[in-house]
Amino acid sequence: MNAPLEDANAGLIKQARAGDARAFEALAREVERPLYRHVQRIVGESADAEDCVQDALFSAWRSIRAFEGDSFRAWIFRIATNRALDRLRSRKRHPELPLDPPADDAEITWAEPATPGPDLVQIVGDREALAAVEAALATLPVDQRTVLLLRDIEGFAYEEIAVITAVEIGTVKSRIHRGRLAVRNALVAKGWRGSAG
Amino acid sequence: MHPLEDLSAYLDGELDGGRRAAVESHLAACDSCRTRLAQLRATARLIAALPSPVPARSLVPRVAVPIWLAPLRTLATIGSGAALFLFIASALTTSVTQTSSGGAAAPALAPQPEQVQSDRARGIASAGPSGAAGAAGPAGPSGPTGVPAPAFGVAASVSPPQKSATEADRSAAGTPTPTPFVRTDTGTTAPTAVALGAPERAPTTLSPLLWLALAIVLAALALVLHRRLRSA
Repeated sequence: MNAPLEDANAGLIKQARAGDARAFEALAREVERPLYRHVQRIVGESADAEDCVQDALFSAWRSIRAFEGDSFRAWIFRIATNRALDRLRSRKRHPELPLDPPADDAEITWAEPATPGPDLVQIVGDREALAAVEAALATLPVDQRTVLLLRDIEGFAYEEIAVITAVEIGTVKSRIHRGRLAVRNALVAKGWRGSAG
Repeated sequence: MHPLEDLSAYLDGELDGGRRAAVESHLAACDSCRTRLAQLRATARLIAALPSPVPARSLVPRVAVPIWLAPLRTLATIGSGAALFLFIASALTTSVTQTSSGGAAAPALAPQPEQVQSDRARGIASAGPSGAAGAAGPAGPSGPTGVPAPAFGVAASVSPPQKSATEADRSAAGTPTPTPFVRTDTGTTAPTAVALGAPERAPTTLSPLLWLALAIVLAALALVLHRRLRSA
């Protein structure tokens, strides 16, 4: 999914690594909004998210010469994700943002609605459903939320997510599934039902 | 055994060949897992459809411009404003000074015609070059006026232009008719007043324009720097 972007920016990445500040700024402008939407959903507050992204971009500029990976986007998302997680750790007084993921062997439950409502498949784009999804994401453990955002919104492959979050691919797979299931359960708890499609 | 843990990875195309085939064969025979897969797919689509929050400001660090450019723009802006203020203040001060000293300036300017008069009078009394020439006879033009000096009509020939020049100076200075000319004045104080009066007026007339020029230059600099920062 990100390969065309990397190909299109290969020249800019090369120039930025050579110290071309304007090339780096062009790259930064392309990832600015994706980074912000990702970080904002991790830290929860807009001002913190803006600071994190700006710090991450500036840090990326200072260390761009050391970048040798295949994916500039994954590299810069890693920096921004680390900034966001550091920011969360720095304000541990916020109990609504749990840092500790559930145990990997925790039982996965598939909740069923007491009174089935609209089909999940039919509510894609529904404003109320989107609000419910946003609320459900906010209640997820941050590690699950981070990988789920990287997968479902940013479209990274599991291997890239493993690099960004510095965990094994098996852990990524498990966290994505648990996070998705938790959001699904939150929607089902509000009356939506799944289809057999 | 339902392959629940593999459903999301299957959905994302992240299973290797063997496990993928196993999940597909299970799905073909299990309605429950097909329903769960559909729910996971719908959930993933809902998450992907979430609106993107937009930052309230640009988050791209301006690494392409020197770090001192923004502070320099601020300084230039402040400096331009300060210079403009000083221009207005100095212009007002100069105006007020000239208005209030309109009568007081006359004494400083008044001795000027006296000086001319006394110099000429001294020249006549001491029989200077023109006087000596005039006394010797009509030998030709002499003196600064270029008027031929007559032998006995020195005072009569010099007085008309001298008088008209003095009156013109007085009217220009707006002064009342001065006291009658006193011949006893040797002219030692009058030249001093004239010499000091001229340099004193120069800075008060030039400094407001200098401040204005400085304000314009700094404003132009601030504008250039601002455009440079905006384009970066």
